[in-house]
Amino acid sequence: MKGKKKSYKWVPYLFLIPYLIAFFAFRFGPSIAGFFVSLTRWNIVGQAKFVGFGNFVELFKDPNFIKSLVNTLYFMLLTVPSLVIGGLLIAMLVDQPLKGRTVARTFVFMPYVIMSTVVGVIWLWIFDAHFGILNYYLGFLGIKPIAWLSSINWAMPAVAIATVWWTIGFNMILFLAGLQDIPNELKEAARIDGASSWQVFWNVTLPLLTPTTIVVIMLTLINTFQVFAQVYVMTGGGPSMATLTVVQYMYVQSFQYYRLGYGSAIAYVIFMFLVIFILIEKKFLKRFGDES
Amino acid sequence: MKNRGKKRLIRLLLYFFLILCIITSFFPILWMTVSAFKPEGEILSYPPQWVPLHPTWSNFSYVLSKFNFARWTFNSIVSAVVAMIIVIFIDSLAAFAFARMKFRGNRVLYSIIISMLMVPIQVTIVPLYLMFANMNLLNTLIALILPTTGNVTGVFILTSFFKSVPQDLLDAAIVDGAGSFRIWWSIMLPLARPSISAVAIITFMSNWTSFLWPLVSVSSDASRTLPVGIAQFFGGQSGVSGSAPQYGPAMAAALMATIPAIAIFLFLQRYFVKGIMMTGIKG
Repeated sequence: MKGKKKSYKWVPYLFLIPYLIAFFAFRFGPSIAGFFVSLTRWNIVGQAKFVGFGNFVELFKDPNFIKSLVNTLYFMLLTVPSLVIGGLLIAMLVDQPLKGRTVARTFVFMPYVIMSTVVGVIWLWIFDAHFGILNYYLGFLGIKPIAWLSSINWAMPAVAIATVWWTIGFNMILFLAGLQDIPNELKEAARIDGASSWQVFWNVTLPLLTPTTIVVIMLTLINTFQVFAQVYVMTGGGPSMATLTVVQYMYVQSFQYYRLGYGSAIAYVIFMFLVIFILIEKKFLKRFGDES
Repeated sequence: MKNRGKKRLIRLLLYFFLILCIITSFFPILWMTVSAFKPEGEILSYPPQWVPLHPTWSNFSYVLSKFNFARWTFNSIVSAVVAMIIVIFIDSLAAFAFARMKFRGNRVLYSIIISMLMVPIQVTIVPLYLMFANMNLLNTLIALILPTTGNVTGVFILTSFFKSVPQDLLDAAIVDGAGSFRIWWSIMLPLARPSISAVAIITFMSNWTSFLWPLVSVSSDASRTLPVGIAQFFGGQSGVSGSAPQYGPAMAAALMATIPAIAIFLFLQRYFVKGIMMTGIKG
């Protein structure tokens, strides 16, 4: 404690020990161990054989892995812009003085509390090629039934739609908090100076929202790169690996083929990608920040 | 006059989008609910009916009798609640030390812990699997609970809160002769109630919806959690199967797994929002 010196030196450790045991045993330890496993060839039965970075070299020659990587990036391309821009637009909408805006906030966020696999099951039914309600309504627009989940071209967009529906409320809440932190006087002042709504948004709101935007983009990148459960339920990675994602490939290699070393290497590649995303975003936003 | 007309049009448009948001968000949930009450023959009727002609509970009884659904629910609730309690307890203890005590290695230790926020959970899965397999603890509730207790977010949120508590409040207690545990228990914890609720909800929800680790660590049906159990309705593999998929029971199961979460959410909405804002800050 600050000031008083009488407290015993070991008291802090008493407070720390229960958590530190859990942290080192179940979080830190396994993370480090995972790296060492990734340096071995290890099929659960039998001995682990040290292969250095052999697994990583093999990974980047493995067409299925490359495919899963490309698929995941494609999934991000479909979801990240909609989740970030859409989240911001919805937040701005429910920030307006409209009747029922709190109801709208509740409804938009509600899907987020549903389990990932349940989300998968619900949308599996909506996307059903023959009896699905989506194809029925699209029929009114003159669109022929789409075999959503069994079509190589449409399976990934379908998973993306389900994911945007599921998680956009999360980004809305973050943006809403950011918007409400912006003092109203600033916008008023700009308006009195004759700025149009668009100018107020572009020159006042957006720059002041930057810290929130950074966080939202970062969390969205991290979460979408790790997409797994929806895909597992909706398509199982098919048709013909059109929706196989990186985390799923890691799961398949580790726990269906029991190639523990190879699976761990994939996990570490996931880690590396997250670090790269964060670095790129930091760099990009730094430049953006300097200019404005 | 022209200006006023334009303003009205904009308001009308805003309301249109507001309603669109509500409908889009709610229609899949409503469709799941409606479908859950349809008898087998009706569910695949075309065009789709928004009101079941012959509403029935048969899908629910089918799920409850043919699957270990009650058991999965029990496993999910118990593991999420126990993990939540452990996390609140050990995280608030550690956070108090990090925020308010001087000891060797405080900063270093704290940075090591925070740095793990960047490390994705996937890298721990294989070692955790080996660890629990070695201890013969796969397929147990313990395996579902323990890995959650090493979480970082809770310590982060609570430490930043404890740091913000004014020293005056503590000084008064110290003068009265209160020890560290007393201060933690009777001053810090009551003050931290909003942050603790946020941590509780984050922990509960992340455990309740957790998928990868329960999928890996549990293979016996009786030890499954809801997310893994429900994934089974479609064999967990590609939606293309020989026979027509049984959407009725699947929707009934989905609905039963969703109602508790939505109920909790509606009651504790403001803590959810707070919890999310706090995870946002961590970035």
